Amino acid sequence: MMSYSKRDEDSGRIGYQHYFDKTTILQEARVFNESPINARKCRALLTKILYLISQGETFGTTEATELFFSVTKLFQSKDSALRQMVYLVIKELSTVAEDVIMVTSSLMKDMQPTSEVMYRANAIRVLRKITDASMLQGLERFLKAAIVDKNAKVSSAALVSSYHLYGIAREVVKRWANEAQEAINAKPQSAVSAATSYVSSFGNVPATYTAVSNSNIVQYHALGLLYAIRQKDRMAVSKLVQNYAAKSGMSGSVLRSPFAQCLLVRYACKVMEEDPSSTRAVYDLLEGWLRHKSEMVNLEAAKAICEIKDATVKELFPAVTTLQNFLSSGKPSIKFAAIRALNKLAMTQPAAVAPCNIDMENMITDQNRSISTFAITTLLKTGNEASVERLMKQISGFMSEITDESKVLVVEAVGSLCIKFPAKHHVMLSFLSGALRDDGGYDFKRAVVEAIFNFVKYIPESKEAALSHLCEIIEDCEYSKLSVKILHLLGVEGPKCPQPTKYIRYIYNRVILENAVVRGAAVSALAKFGVNVEDEAVKKSVKVLLSRCLDDADDEVRDRATMYLNVIKSGDEQGYVRDDSTYALAYLERQLLNYVSNPELADTPFDLSAVPKISRQDEQERGAQDLGITQSLGARTSTPPQSGSASNGSGARPAVSTTPSLDQQAAYAQQLAEIREFASFGPLFKSTAKPVELTESETEYVVSCVKHVFAHHVVFQFNIKNTLNDSVLEDVNVLMTPDNDEVSLVERVLIPAPQLVYDVPGVAYVAYERTVLEEYPECTFTNELKFIVKDCDPQTGEPDEEGFEDDYQVEEVSLAIADFVLPSYIPSFTRAWEELGQDFEVVETLALTTSPGLQEACRDLIALLGMQALDNTGTVQGSNVHTMTLSGIFIGGIRVLARCRMTYDSATGVTLQLAIRSASEEVSLVMIGAIA
Amino acid sequence: MASIIQSLLNWLRSLFFKTEMELTLVGLQNSGKTTLVNVIASGQFSEDMIPTVGFNMRKVTKGNVTMKLWDIGGQPRFRSMWERYCRGVNAIVFVIDAADHDKLDAARTELRNLLDKPQLAEIPVLVLGNKNDLPGALTVEQIIETMNLKQIASREVSCYSISAKNQVNIDITLQWLIKKGKGK
Repeated sequence: MMSYSKRDEDSGRIGYQHYFDKTTILQEARVFNESPINARKCRALLTKILYLISQGETFGTTEATELFFSVTKLFQSKDSALRQMVYLVIKELSTVAEDVIMVTSSLMKDMQPTSEVMYRANAIRVLRKITDASMLQGLERFLKAAIVDKNAKVSSAALVSSYHLYGIAREVVKRWANEAQEAINAKPQSAVSAATSYVSSFGNVPATYTAVSNSNIVQYHALGLLYAIRQKDRMAVSKLVQNYAAKSGMSGSVLRSPFAQCLLVRYACKVMEEDPSSTRAVYDLLEGWLRHKSEMVNLEAAKAICEIKDATVKELFPAVTTLQNFLSSGKPSIKFAAIRALNKLAMTQPAAVAPCNIDMENMITDQNRSISTFAITTLLKTGNEASVERLMKQISGFMSEITDESKVLVVEAVGSLCIKFPAKHHVMLSFLSGALRDDGGYDFKRAVVEAIFNFVKYIPESKEAALSHLCEIIEDCEYSKLSVKILHLLGVEGPKCPQPTKYIRYIYNRVILENAVVRGAAVSALAKFGVNVEDEAVKKSVKVLLSRCLDDADDEVRDRATMYLNVIKSGDEQGYVRDDSTYALAYLERQLLNYVSNPELADTPFDLSAVPKISRQDEQERGAQDLGITQSLGARTSTPPQSGSASNGSGARPAVSTTPSLDQQAAYAQQLAEIREFASFGPLFKSTAKPVELTESETEYVVSCVKHVFAHHVVFQFNIKNTLNDSVLEDVNVLMTPDNDEVSLVERVLIPAPQLVYDVPGVAYVAYERTVLEEYPECTFTNELKFIVKDCDPQTGEPDEEGFEDDYQVEEVSLAIADFVLPSYIPSFTRAWEELGQDFEVVETLALTTSPGLQEACRDLIALLGMQALDNTGTVQGSNVHTMTLSGIFIGGIRVLARCRMTYDSATGVTLQLAIRSASEEVSLVMIGAIA
Repeated sequence: MASIIQSLLNWLRSLFFKTEMELTLVGLQNSGKTTLVNVIASGQFSEDMIPTVGFNMRKVTKGNVTMKLWDIGGQPRFRSMWERYCRGVNAIVFVIDAADHDKLDAARTELRNLLDKPQLAEIPVLVLGNKNDLPGALTVEQIIETMNLKQIASREVSCYSISAKNQVNIDITLQWLIKKGKGK
């Protein structure tokens, strides 16, 4: 508060001698109603209000409305400094107070060309805060004129306001594109006068403000608005980029503002992202921008090139050279930006960054710690084995001087380095354990622990050392979360070590010394030792330790101990301790909700077997995705050259693709649940993971289809988008005709999309009932859209009264056996296979003529059967022989397993022996029918 | 230095001889409030007005009286806000379109509602029947009759029939208003 009063001498003595709060201010607001107005006093009070708001004080609706109306009285004063404060306060109150629309007329008066520039620009900015879509029609004329105003401040204000208004009134703002374009192309003016009037009342505002108005910022704002208007239209965006990029090549470029240029670089990247065929052309543009006269643009372009997917070292070269030059720049910000970009590139393409090594070596000693941290972490990625030790020593030197965020960066770099140079693990481990002894917050400690986890995972020879480091950490760890994590890992890895007993001591210490959460984790870890260690003596002592936990003060800890003791006693360890699968939680939640909300099901127990399972690894990967940290994870796992982890990465792919689809399915289920006609269908069994495209993406109407399978019904969801901006479609029905008349499907519900306006996707549904439940129809439908077209008036966008009927043929959709199967993970195929037995086994030998190789055969089989590949068998390891094991749940909750033995011979192609087991002969036969 | 003393003197003088008063103009939409304000302020009549969204504030000096005119929008969404701008003013001016018979009922209700507000008790009210140049416009007596003005007892009420377009009776309106400023 004190510093604030010092900074702002003009607006009075706030926080000076007397304390103030909301109540006193609301009382003092009476000065606004005085006559004549004391501008100085009012301004001071308004400042206090702003100060309070900035401190996080909130006003209730009534308070804010009262205050707002008092403030509107101040529009009578001609004091321009007071008016500025009024503008600012109204902006702040606009979100809370009611009826803020009241000041519209006053603001419109202020924004007239006859007003002072200070009034005009600010009034426009306030106006957009208080207006709504219904008022915009009336303001349109004035805002359009303001956009093309000669004065940069007014024009900018209008453009920025339009940009914000675009969110609430798309159709209106769309019509201002021409004005925005005009604003970009306007000739520069000597724009000094504009800023000065704004600054007047603040007297000593630094001169940089004047400089900003010289920077052609209007172009930046105008380009932003143009893009916002056109972003949905890929062609228009690409034209926009081409247009301005081409002009910039000539003598006088149109975009004088470097900010606008940077924006253009970003839009160019978007074009490339959406249309990979343009990569070449955009790359040329980007390369040209590397030689632009503004450093900002060079950096932006270089960063863009570095982020191109699959760029070759040769393509990266010019960008890296530019960044390298910036490394020796005198400006710390430029240096920082360059080294950060290189650091990011080094994660995926260390070889491309290696030429900068010498420059980066010099930066290790840079005074700016952020720069030196990035330099070192980049060097760790690009450097060779010999330099690692030296670099580590240098970092340890200044670890204590840098912030937690930088420390996390360093630790992550070291963590990924261990994979690259496993031989140096002892140096790195001792560095990490040293780092742990430093002070640091949770994020830092977690990063260290995770780095050590990496050692355990990827470098077997370092495992024991790493585990003992972890044991030391939990001896003195202030974060329960971390202790729990470590205890879990000890439980998993400890029993596999030659001397499991030494870990047991550390773990049991936790049981004695820690809080309930950690104690619980420790008990679980102990139990794993009891189950997984072969030595009988160890088993016995674990049992003793566990029985001591039975007296624990905490319920959960006692429960766990009791359960594990019984599990060990009964010998049913497989199911409880070693099981590494978990239910697909999103799906399970949905099923449970359905169960709870449906009274008819109250008498029957919940059927858990219908819920698909996924492995813990998948679940973790999903959690990681949710947190958005996959990028670093991905970077880490893609670096190791070892075959084990590489195949792990690709083998996990089919699993990953099924798990997000379960989340997607939850979203579909919610959508469908809201439709009355489908209410009687019961819970959703399966939705196709990816919508099937039924048209090319450039056609007039873009259609895709999602199949939803219910217990007795199949619902086809057609997502339709109208890409013609001059027509509106109404009553859009999809006419589906099965190719096979005898199929046991009867059309039950037809829900048309009521109206399809330009670029807003709509949905039509067709529902079929399976009349014979024992049949699982395979059939192909031809589809035709039937609708009424109404042309739109090109000026107003209003559709005509009269429309005409039309139809539109789209591609076919087929229903297959795979649609009735849900992929599901099980931990042990062999055991499940034995359990199901041979009773309903069906075996068939087939020649897969369509598949050119084993890998393709695997892919096709997974698609045809709709099942989940287990234990990475979805990826072919050998060359000629491969066995893939699959698991799934057939509709009705019947578990299905498949074993696919394949051989490959260049003469005959792939030969498959497919064995299916399930609890029902009928299901097994149906499944085999999917292939034959 | 001399100029500072001069301005000081001017200021003192204005304190003694200048009266400042506040007036609020309300009434249904399209009754001619903003037009009337323009006529009072600049003597200019302009036919084509856009509806007032919110309020307009004008300061008008007539002789040594400065009038602050709060001209509030008449559309339904703003009517609830009239009261806020009428509190503590010297007089409330309620403008009606004397030629628009369909809206007289609504005008009467709105006037009643406004005057029922306890915060506004005893503030003098001037009802102006605008647009008396149009055929079918009500006379003063008719307005008093339809608006039930005689039943308003607790405050001073006056009624004039005016035309902002032809500047009829604007002078007596101003005189009435200025008297309110001085009488206070």
